[in-house]
This record gives sequence, structure tokens and C-alpha cells, in this order.
Amino acid sequence: MKKSLFVVFSFLLVFSLSFGALAQDRVVTMMGVWGGQELEAFQEVMAAFTEKTGIKVQFEGTRDLPTLLQTRIAAGNPPDVAAIPGPGAMKEYVEQGALIDLNKSLDAKLLEEDINDAWIELGTYKGGLYALTFAADIKSLVWYRPAEFAAKGYEVPTTWAEMEALMDKMVANGDTPWAIGLESGAASGWPATDWIEDIMLRTAGPDVYDQWVNHEIPWTDARVQEAFEIFGKIARNKDYVYGGPTTVLATNFGDSVSELFTDPPRAMMHRQASFITSFITDANPDVVIGEDVAFFGFPMIKPEYGNPMLGAGDMIAQFRDTPEAAEFMNFLASAEAQEIWANRLGKLGTNNKINPAVYPDDLTREMAALLNSADVFRFDGSDSMPAAVGSGAFWEGMLQYVGGEDLESVLEYIESVAQESY
Amino acid sequence: MNWQRLKSRMPKIVINIVVLLSMLLWIVPTMGLLITSFRPASDVVYSGWWTVLTSPLKFTQYTAENYQAVLSSGGMLTAFRNSFIITIGGTVIPVFLAALAAFGLSQLHFRGRGFFYALIVLMLVVPTQMTFIPVLRLYNKLSLSGTFAGLWLVHTGYGLPFSIFMLHSFFQGLPKDLFEAAHIDGASIWTTFIRLAIPLSVPALASLVIFQCLFVWNDLLVALIYLGGHESVAPLTMRLSSLVGSFGQDWHLLTAAAFVSMVVPLVVFFSLQQYFVRGLLGGAVKG
Repeated sequence: MKKSLFVVFSFLLVFSLSFGALAQDRVVTMMGVWGGQELEAFQEVMAAFTEKTGIKVQFEGTRDLPTLLQTRIAAGNPPDVAAIPGPGAMKEYVEQGALIDLNKSLDAKLLEEDINDAWIELGTYKGGLYALTFAADIKSLVWYRPAEFAAKGYEVPTTWAEMEALMDKMVANGDTPWAIGLESGAASGWPATDWIEDIMLRTAGPDVYDQWVNHEIPWTDARVQEAFEIFGKIARNKDYVYGGPTTVLATNFGDSVSELFTDPPRAMMHRQASFITSFITDANPDVVIGEDVAFFGFPMIKPEYGNPMLGAGDMIAQFRDTPEAAEFMNFLASAEAQEIWANRLGKLGTNNKINPAVYPDDLTREMAALLNSADVFRFDGSDSMPAAVGSGAFWEGMLQYVGGEDLESVLEYIESVAQESY
Repeated sequence: MNWQRLKSRMPKIVINIVVLLSMLLWIVPTMGLLITSFRPASDVVYSGWWTVLTSPLKFTQYTAENYQAVLSSGGMLTAFRNSFIITIGGTVIPVFLAALAAFGLSQLHFRGRGFFYALIVLMLVVPTQMTFIPVLRLYNKLSLSGTFAGLWLVHTGYGLPFSIFMLHSFFQGLPKDLFEAAHIDGASIWTTFIRLAIPLSVPALASLVIFQCLFVWNDLLVALIYLGGHESVAPLTMRLSSLVGSFGQDWHLLTAAAFVSMVVPLVVFFSLQQYFVRGLLGGAVKG
């Protein structure tokens, strides 16, 4: 028996070693967070690239991307290309000297003609272009069911005063205005940070928003406090939000939207980014997006700041200077690649030559139009802050605040983390 | 009423009920996972798994869809194969080496063995995470990263201190007379090891194999770091974790995935379990 074990063992050894010696094709390695449907969609993008150029893409998907990527960078074998979490992470990698300036890789004509300045500005740091925004989501959306609104005589609000009146009318009617869910595993709390960002953009304006994201004003500033209070009025009030703060904290953000589709609906409105449509249809296969459910823009709060747009995107950075990686980056910037991604996932492409017909439905086309026409666009603030704040203290702070903690001590806590991180 | 009387009056059934209740409590989360894995995604969102308990025999509320989705997703077979390759190598090598080392440290009398043993035990306190970057750098130089052999080597490294520690204490407990008798009969050290120490320590070896097997089979992080997540080398854990989207979409698939990946450790455990019970040592000295 021992002998046979030994034979099996040495066979396995030879077998595994032979893996390293596989044919040396032209290969790009890429790391990303995508899984499930997203991964399937990206596999189509990769297949299109391979067909076009003969270069294979080896994709590694992991949701622990920040940790893994940082380890690989430190050990000196980063992937050729990676989808990074956001502008904050991009700046950190640039500081470490890990990124390649995309002005070297990307075709100048393509950059000039196909990509809007807003996206180039987003990926620019210290005079170089370090990240390509492959696709975007817009976040300032409130989802509702037009049929329910019509049946009960509710009207889509365009200002915050109208919104408050609408919420009171719903409560008087026995309806609950909002469904909010903050649970998201280790990232719990992030949906609430989007609320704060949307409110900040509308109560303090884009300039103060930038100062806040760059920590040029403290967290204890009265304008930050005001944004938290507006959110708290909803999320900490069991009349305004389904189930009250406890349910808000315990419900998964992706499940929370389903409260709109119970019979009778447990809540009337849900504020979430464009990607929520896939959650809606996954859990409620009968719902037709655009007919049974629609969105309106998060209403303006102070008229002088108008209707700004908050969003996020899939940012892709290049870590190794190989011709294959450069070719892949050019492909990802092209309308051809983005059309596949947009078509499969309902994401909004950043290449302005994308054929609007590829978007899966009218709603997405509407969003794409909204995105292209918005004069003020701001990237998700928490993604742009240093990780310790943007994906740490800010998330925790939101959970504590919704849980009933005193606002002042929450903001002081985030401020104390921020002072060490910038 | 004193304690003795209370004890004698308490019927055995009470104790059994207490034991049964605590077992039930212990098993509740796993049961929830199992039930959830058989429920359709839309139900999972709207109601908790316990709602099926009101009418557990209504079979229309169950579905095998989640299992179908998990098993039919591409690359499952490759992932299983990879996991097997990793686990077999990552278990056999450290257990074999640990048996040799522990035998040497406990039965051979050479200078400084106390020092070496202390050194190995000290390594138990080094956090795995600390070693990632330096070892990965070394691996890049030796082009070992991304190979199964490289992963076997790290699992051996991470597994050895504990394995040696455990087997050492077991070998220490073996009766000295046995080894002396073997020595007098003219057995070499190698023969003593193979013919005497190994058969006697089957229970310890079996439990060690179970530990190491579970550790390697369930490992995601170490494989992710040293092997990379590319499909041709990715083990099952990695494949399953990529069933879920970046925002946690499709998490209901994970419940089914958990049970799929649980099958192998369960088989390993139940097939080796008998060695826990059967103490070989019982009649060894008397005989």
C-alpha cells in the first residue's frame, strides 16, 4: 500500500510541475473583483479581445482584491492589469510607483475623441493618467413603482420640500416611505455613505464636497453635520423607513429593494445606484424594469446647487509595461468592449461612441443620457478617501449613527481616524 | 436534600434531554444553511429559512436549482481536481515529514534536541500573514509561484510546527520498554520507526491527517496568494467564491456551494474516524 501511495504521489508531482511548462502564449494577466454574472459578462469581453488579437487573458477574480493586490505589489509580481476600487486606491498605488502612465499605453486619438474630459480628469493624478474608467454607475437615483404612485395620488418630487411633504403624506396614508438596507458583509454601511454624499452635494455644493473628500474641512464641520441629520431624520425614524433602524442595520442592501415589491408594498421608495436593477429582477423575476419600477433623480435640496450626479465606476489600471497589456487597455477603452459590458450588465459605458441601442432597456438609455448631460459629476466620495476612512471609519460611523449613537461622537470618531490617514 | 440524593433522583432522561437540546442548538445554523440551500432565491429574500418549518412537507417550496447552478457553472471539474491535487500533496508531505521529525526529536538522543524542539514550537506563534510577502518574493525568484509544488511547500511549512508538536507529544507517551525491546532484538532505528512507531501512532496520524486535510481543503487565502486565482490552477474554494458578484449578488448560491465543498471533508472524516476510537496501544505492552 505504501508503495502505491508513493507512485501516486510522484505522479502528481510530475503532473503539477508540467503545468509550469505549458506553451508560452501571448498572455495578459488581470485581477478583478467580479464574480457571478459580472464575471460571465467580462469573460465575453475577454473572448472578444482574444479573438481580435490572439492574446489570451488570464483573469483572477477575488473579492479580497485590495489585500491581495497590495501583497502582490509588495512581493513584486502584480498582475499586468487590475480593476482597482477607486480614485483613492489609484492615488495610493501611484505613490508607491506601481502604476504605468496610460498616456504611454492608450492611443492618443482614442483618448482625445472617444473619452469625455470628466473621465480623464478622474484618472489623472500628479500629471499622469493612471486609470481608465471602463464603465460607470450612477447613484443619485430613487426607485419607485409608478403604478403605486399613481394609484395613491403620490407625485414625483423635484425639490426636498416636496419630498418631505410626500413622505408625510405617505405616513398619513399608512404607507412607509423608504426601504433602506445597510448590511453588506465586511462592507456594511456603504449604502448610507452614498446617502450622505448625495445630500452633501445638494446642501453644500460640489466645491465643499471636494474639500470634504480631501479632508480640507473636518468631519465635525456644520455642513457635514447637516447632511448626517437630514439622513438621520429618515433612517432613524421608524415612520419613515420600513422596520425602523434595526431593520435598516440588519437588512442586506440588495434584499432591501424587494420591500417595494411585496403585496401590499412594505415601502414606497428606495435610493440606490443603477446596478440595483439586477437585484430587483433576480429576486422578483416577474418585475419588468421600466414598467413596474422606475426611477427619478434624487431631488435638489438647495436650488443654487441644482441637480448634481453622484456615481462610481469600474476603474482599470495597468501595473506592468508589456505590449500585450497596452493592447488590452486600448481594447477596454474602445466602444466595442464597453458595448458588451453595457449590454450584459446595464452599466453605462464611458466611451462616447457607444451605440445607445446596446443598452438593455430604455431605463438604462435614460441613465446614459442623464450621465452624459450632467454638468456636475462626482465620484463616490468614500471610494476617493483613504481606505481607513472611506472604507473603514465612514462605514462604521454610519452604522453607529443609525444604531442610535450620538452624532457628535460619531463625527469625532471619524475625524480622529481621518487625521491619521491623510 | 444533598447533592448525592439529587443526583440519584435525577433521571437519566433529564440529562439526555439537556444533551439533546444543546446538540440541537449547535446544529441550528447548519440546518438553516441546508434549508436555505434548497430554497428558491426569491423566497430567500422575503422570508427566513425557519418559515418552511410551519409546513415542512410542502415540497413545492424546495428546489434543487441552487445545486444545479453551482455544479453546472464552468470549471467545476477542474476546480475539484485542483483541490484534490493541492490537498493530497499538502497533507501527505507535512504529515510524513512531521512523523520523521517528531520521532527523531522524541526517541533519538542527540545534543541540542531540546533546543530544536523549542525552535519548532516557537514557530507556532508566527502569524501566517506575516510570511506572505517575503515568501512570495522568494517564490518569484525561484519561479515557484503559481505552481502546485510551490503551494505544497508552503502548506508543508505552515503545517509542520503544529504537526511535529502534536506527534512529538504522542511519541513521548509511547512506552520506552517497547523501543528498548526492539533495540535488543536488533532492529535498526529505521525499522523501529516503520514497524513500531508508525503502526502504534495510527490514531494520532489519522487525526493529524484530518486536521491538515481540512485546513488545506478549506484554505482560500494561501492559495490565492501563492497560486493566483487563474482558472486552470484555482481550487474549489476560489471557484465557489467567484460565484458571488462584487456586491454580493447571488449569495444564495453560496449556501449550496458550502454543502458541495463540505462533501469531501465529511468523507475524509468519517473514513478516518474509526482510528480515533480504535486504540492500538491497548494490548501492545501486555502482549
